[in-house]
Amino acid sequence: MTIKKPVLYLLLLLPLLLPTVWSSPYWIHAIICKIMIYAILVASLDLIVGYIGDVSIGHAGLFALGAYSVAILTATPKYNPDSLMTHFYGLPFVIALIIGILISALAGFILGFPALRLSGPYLAVVTIAYGILIVTIINEQAKLTNGTKGITLEPLKLGNLALSGNNYLYVVYPFLVLVMYMNRNLAKSYWGRAFEAIKYSEVAAACSGISKSYYKIWAFVISAGIAGLAGGLFAQFDAYVTPETFSYSFSVEFLIALIVGGVQSVLGNILGVGVYVLLPDLVNKFNDYKLIIFGVSLLLVLYFLPKGLAGWVNDKLAKFFPQNLKNRTDELIKKAAQIDLSEQNNLIPIDNNSENALNLKGLTMKFGGLVAVNQLDLKVKRGTVHGLIGPNGSGKSTTVNLLTGIYKPVEGHIETFDAPLTKFTTYKRAQKGLARTFQNLQLFSDLTALQNVMVGMHTQFKSNLLSVMLGFPNVKKEEDFMETKAFAWLQFVGIEHLAFEKSKNLAYGQARLLEIARAMAMNPTVLLLDEPAAGLTTLEIGKINDIIIKIRNSGVSILLIEHHMNMISAVSDEVTVLDFGKKIAEGTYAVVRNNPHVINAYLGNSDE
Amino acid sequence: MNDLVQLLIGGIAQGMIYSLIAFGYNITFSTSRMFNFSNGAFLMLGGVVGFVMFMTLKIPFFAMLGGVILIGICAGFIMYKTSIEPSLKSQSGIGWILATLAFGIILKNLVEVTWGTDDKKFDSPFGASTLRFGSVGVYPQEILIISVSLLIVFGVEFFKRYTILGKAIVAVSEDKNTASLMGINQRFVILFSFLLASVIACVAGVLVAPITLVSATMGSVLGVKAYIVSIIGGLESGFGVLVGGLILGISENITARYVSTGYRDVPGFLILILILLFLPKGIFGKKVIKKV
Repeated sequence: MTIKKPVLYLLLLLPLLLPTVWSSPYWIHAIICKIMIYAILVASLDLIVGYIGDVSIGHAGLFALGAYSVAILTATPKYNPDSLMTHFYGLPFVIALIIGILISALAGFILGFPALRLSGPYLAVVTIAYGILIVTIINEQAKLTNGTKGITLEPLKLGNLALSGNNYLYVVYPFLVLVMYMNRNLAKSYWGRAFEAIKYSEVAAACSGISKSYYKIWAFVISAGIAGLAGGLFAQFDAYVTPETFSYSFSVEFLIALIVGGVQSVLGNILGVGVYVLLPDLVNKFNDYKLIIFGVSLLLVLYFLPKGLAGWVNDKLAKFFPQNLKNRTDELIKKAAQIDLSEQNNLIPIDNNSENALNLKGLTMKFGGLVAVNQLDLKVKRGTVHGLIGPNGSGKSTTVNLLTGIYKPVEGHIETFDAPLTKFTTYKRAQKGLARTFQNLQLFSDLTALQNVMVGMHTQFKSNLLSVMLGFPNVKKEEDFMETKAFAWLQFVGIEHLAFEKSKNLAYGQARLLEIARAMAMNPTVLLLDEPAAGLTTLEIGKINDIIIKIRNSGVSILLIEHHMNMISAVSDEVTVLDFGKKIAEGTYAVVRNNPHVINAYLGNSDE
Repeated sequence: MNDLVQLLIGGIAQGMIYSLIAFGYNITFSTSRMFNFSNGAFLMLGGVVGFVMFMTLKIPFFAMLGGVILIGICAGFIMYKTSIEPSLKSQSGIGWILATLAFGIILKNLVEVTWGTDDKKFDSPFGASTLRFGSVGVYPQEILIISVSLLIVFGVEFFKRYTILGKAIVAVSEDKNTASLMGINQRFVILFSFLLASVIACVAGVLVAPITLVSATMGSVLGVKAYIVSIIGGLESGFGVLVGGLILGISENITARYVSTGYRDVPGFLILILILLFLPKGIFGKKVIKKV
């Protein structure tokens, strides 16, 4: 797009003129203000549904918390005669709003914990229960909330300027802009990529050093805070709140509005809510049929516009404004030339003289009665490529999963450079310098190749959440630098021409190379390659061999799990052979190849 | 003491209704990893159609029941075609949740528009007077609910174990692809499971109608609670559904009596959240080993 930034900012101010040029209280107050408030709510839901990929059917509860916080804290006896409420706090709106946001965010924090362990229908049911619980409590605590009779609020004023009615737009609109701006910044940053990574492959995200708990809980906190903000604005909008508003179906309707509009899109949030508010209002007769229209439109969108209305609009726009990727690639090539990948921050302390990049001591893993790995001792020497081979079912993959912490061993220890690793979870091990690729590719399919590599660099991002959301200049600088470095990693494996291609469109061999680039971008000390040659042509295997040697020469120690003997013989300094979970041979490839146990394991014993 | 027995019986009857709808979730989830989020709307459909036939048109009770089953099959088929089949093709993660929610609100709105929004009273075919056992009074309808529910749950379990179609359902729920390779038409099995779930929900609507009232909204809350019940027990466990229903039904009745009616839903919801915190697949759910 070629619109200049200052023009864009001026355009953003335009809606503020609406109340002065158009005095219709119906359109300005009842329609536009309402759309803005609901759009904030839908934006909060989008964080969970669009970015995290979970279904929440309880956002009405979080919205209600914000609304009731503002209502309770600002209520005065003058507007609530004969009320059951025992206390009137009479706080100013702004303070009440902030408290409301905090209370909702706290509720989101609590909701985040079940969300860590549950997904799909299991999590959806918890959000339903949570939402209904909140509203039930509001309904029953009449001394605090005036129960079913609801609370009336004073009209909002700033000095002599009335901010009620059409003027309420002046209050709502800046919040809308701020929320959308923050959401967008978050989505485009390493936070957004972390959300995306967790959504597509929790395991690959953890192996890239991303803590699922941390990011998921923060997503719920931020989402709930924004929902609380929307609720607070909603309370003052009607200047009256009642528990009935925040029903289960309210949650469902907003979920539908989000999907109809299209997830992960500011435009989608606004379009979805626009349809939701305008459709029944345009023709009064519609009101009876509101839910039919709504349900049918959702079904139609699910069928024909899987990316929602905004996705459709964006596809149309993309035809008129094609992105100039050639220029961006050229620019990155120029910048990447100044990056030296060998200048990595080494994770091993200088005074660490340990010879063992990995040291497995008596590692044992059982599944029920099956012993998958049995008393395995294995040392990967610093700066070498160590091959791990064995027939199918010999325990190779189990060993990798034990190393990365996906399984907990029954017995035994793992050390890296003499530091214990066994007690750490997957993402901590990744942060300590253990990177891996996957036998069954685990790329983040909707992210581009470049973004996939940037997920690998996740732990190198240092900007904090607030500066990311507010889009401070240092965040942009960091992002640019990391992007260039990621591009250099793509050059390292030779697929930089695919930088802007979504990883799901990559050919098999390219995807394998991308996994190596992503793992290397983590600045690892140890790299686990899980069958990197599987399904590749001889030519491609040759290419990977060269890359493995290049990586080893850069000082990274490698554990190579492979079936392909040509590759093992070409690159490995030492080889360990497993059979039925036990080590049966160890040494250089030439020695191991002639070991009778190994021949027996692979070819069977001719005497039998 | 008698008071408590009375509460227990009421709670069990209530819980059985939840179990019946939840059982529908259970059957379809095991065959397709999906269920009709709006099974509550099917319960409402059963209740309203039953009301129209029995109370308005004065059709005999059992003929009415046949009619309700027929309607359940038709509506279930439309729901399957519009909301489930597209998601089966696209393998979409949450598409089916939204599609069935949409179908449910369409159904509810249709009933509101064509039949009205009032609550109406459905007479029990067995009369409204209570049977007395000592000082404990039981509505005949409650006995009917409990016995029919048990009959359906055990009937379906029997069907799954001892008939060829039932075994096909079990096979598909164990492993879709292998079942297909053995010549089982998995699409048909999935469709059948959804029709069965829809019919059970409609019958549950007729059963519960004399106790609640008949209205377009009667299914909303019941559907959500049945959902909770199925999750408490474990979506894949038929037995778990019965246990879950009893937990929710009894806890509701006891809370309503000894705490307050406004809080009747709270203990059940808290139990749900607590159980899932410690047993993410419900009480009787199976543990799955991750493979990478």
